[in-house]
Amino acid sequence: MTDEAPGAGRIPDSDLVERGRTGDESALGALVRRYQDAAFRVAVSITKDDDTALDAVQEAFLKAFRALEGFRGDASFRTWLLTITANEARGALRKANRRRETALELVEPIASRGPDPAERAVLADESERARTALGKLPEKQRMSVTLRIEEGMSFREVGEVIGSSEGAARVNYFHGIRRLRELME
Amino acid sequence: MSTMDCAGIREMIPEVASGRAGQAGAASVEAHAGSCEGCRAELALARLVYQSRPQAPAELADRIISTMRRDRRRLQRPWWGISAAAVAALALGIGITARPAADTLDLLDVEVALEDETELWLSDDGVLAGAPVFDALSDEALAELLDELQAIAPPGGQA
Repeated sequence: MTDEAPGAGRIPDSDLVERGRTGDESALGALVRRYQDAAFRVAVSITKDDDTALDAVQEAFLKAFRALEGFRGDASFRTWLLTITANEARGALRKANRRRETALELVEPIASRGPDPAERAVLADESERARTALGKLPEKQRMSVTLRIEEGMSFREVGEVIGSSEGAARVNYFHGIRRLRELME
Repeated sequence: MSTMDCAGIREMIPEVASGRAGQAGAASVEAHAGSCEGCRAELALARLVYQSRPQAPAELADRIISTMRRDRRRLQRPWWGISAAAVAALALGIGITARPAADTLDLLDVEVALEDETELWLSDDGVLAGAPVFDALSDEALAELLDELQAIAPPGGQA
């Protein structure tokens, strides 16, 4: 687990960003370690695939660092980075879908199958059920739930990342929670 | 329990589920959930979501940081360094592939005007490597150029 809890003694993001602008690699590395998990969760919540998510996260950090000079701090570094990550993940998902469509055109269709006994055993686990149910929500609801609960973001911040107003983020969150409860029952 | 109470509690549930709420806030949510089935279920669900949150693989940070370093080195490299080195490497490659390996050192002395012979060396396969006049060029960049060169003009002159 690499989540870093905010607290006393933690170097503020703004200081790390300022040092990162001057080329301080240790500051950039600290930002990577601080937000890699949050970025990964945002990416995987969109792509639903670990490998695609990892590529999107890497690209998001690189883009953010290249653009650090232009970052003015209107949003927090975290919100800014996660917005870039969400955009990268959506782009990666589109590419992956195009590749999948091409691949499907080239192969004979195969019969769909249910999970095997081992997979069923894993899915029976409550945590897995929660993740599976979360994956069934529409993207904005899923991201609102993820960002609000897992990252502790305010509805205003959630709205910035998902490209909606604060009010829409709130509605998406509560609809998502209600739907999640239905799926878990 | 009034609807207003539930609405206020539900706003606080994410903070309580993730352990970010203060003691007083957590206590009031827990107390409410004790007597409200709906909020209790929502708190349990939020805890489940938080506890099952995915974690990035441990190696992700190293992967990003090493890619970032490569990226920054590439951006910092002067453009003339790349093009001049590419021209030199190409010239060297043509020279090498046109002559037997035994002549390689003589050829280098004549054609490349190396600043310091002590910086010359031969790689395992007898192909030259070295630090000609392009001090800013990293070993990695030179290796990349030589790889490209081999693709264009493989040893033996079968380009």
